[in-house]
Amino acid sequence: MFSPPGPLLATLALLVLSTAIGIRPVVKLIQVYEARHELRPGSAGRIRSLAGWAVIAFWLMATWFFATIIGDWHVTGDLAGAIDRSWLRLRILLEIAAALGDND
Amino acid sequence: MPGDSTERVEADQAALSCAACGGHCIFSPLKGQLECTSCGTAHDVEPPEDADAAREFAYDPEASENDPPELTRERIYQCRNCGGAVLFVGAALSEHCPYCNGPVVLGTGDAGYRTKALIPFRADHGFARRQMRAWVGKRLAAPGSLPALLEDARLAGLYAPFWTFDSHEALRYWAKYTTGTGDKRRTHKTSGALQIAFDDLLMPASPHVTPLIRDGILHDFDPGSLRPFHAGYLAGFAAERHHQSVAQGLAANAPDKKLLIRNRIRHHINKSGVHDIRYQTDTTGIHYRRILLPVWIAHYSYDGKPMKVVVSGIDGRTFGERPFSKWKLAAYAAGLSAMAIALGLAWGAGGLL
Repeated sequence: MFSPPGPLLATLALLVLSTAIGIRPVVKLIQVYEARHELRPGSAGRIRSLAGWAVIAFWLMATWFFATIIGDWHVTGDLAGAIDRSWLRLRILLEIAAALGDND
Repeated sequence: MPGDSTERVEADQAALSCAACGGHCIFSPLKGQLECTSCGTAHDVEPPEDADAAREFAYDPEASENDPPELTRERIYQCRNCGGAVLFVGAALSEHCPYCNGPVVLGTGDAGYRTKALIPFRADHGFARRQMRAWVGKRLAAPGSLPALLEDARLAGLYAPFWTFDSHEALRYWAKYTTGTGDKRRTHKTSGALQIAFDDLLMPASPHVTPLIRDGILHDFDPGSLRPFHAGYLAGFAAERHHQSVAQGLAANAPDKKLLIRNRIRHHINKSGVHDIRYQTDTTGIHYRRILLPVWIAHYSYDGKPMKVVVSGIDGRTFGERPFSKWKLAAYAAGLSAMAIALGLAWGAGGLL
């Protein structure tokens, strides 16, 4: 059965975009990893290096969210319906993001 | 003109000559003694009484300090071994004679702010080099050329100036925190009082060691390891003079202290989503030490950007500035994106939530 190319192209576009946007969060991820393993616990340098880690979660959550829409679209063939069904998911994600931002 | 601004200074060179053959002695980190570079004889470093080394001094903002050393002035010392001229530039406190390679350490009378104590080198050059290699090998997403770059970099032993600061803070704070989610999300106000005693906060007084590098290499500062200042410990190593007044040192330490205070307040409130922290503090009991700590430093540049890796001369802990490979970062980003996408596709295709 022929599968429409829309979801496939959207997945590839999402991968390229997420990779480009993800370079900065990956630098942060490495800095956080190094800070946790190498900087003195409780020190000012460690606190500074760990600050801003939420950007890693925001990036992965956003990528995951758009991928869920594409997955839904791929199965149902209905993009508008997939977007409609994603609103609740988005609201939950924004709640999680707000909580992460508060604790960063 | 440099010639007009140079002056002759006194240096402590007699104590650095071998009693057996008159050769040059340098400090051996492995032996903890002065070692003659000619005959190999080891001599004990004989500093004044150890009991005074860890002594702290009370800070009095009203008291006048010695005049700060003029770092722009060049100073000349005439080597007592060969008669050659040894030039001290900037904050340099310890040098080698360019003619006979003998170690020369400035006398304490020319040291500007007097350094009272130091921790001698325990990690030697070979150990420091191995530690640096191991550190570089563990860098994620580092350029492939980084190990070779650092292998070519000169690893120099340096006694870097540091402060230790003690203080007692009586705090009163005000902050907000959030609870609940969605429509039940609420912001609350809170306030409280807190006492904090800071003990031996280390602050670098040298551009060679940044506060971040300090937190990477100096995990367990033990004032009990401090020894009274003696030229013998510096022989063979570079050393930098203290050139900051106490007020300048306290000002440099202020951002770190602010951050630590805010962190303590966060923990004291013990709630999630703490923000908008304000506080007033009454600081008393400020005590300080001017000390020298041993570090091995490798300077290198990547893409024209100067960077450094620093190895603690006490225990070999290593930290530094490092570049990233854009291609490796992109590969990591692509891998993590692919995982998030795969999970998202499966989630969406499964019709979940």
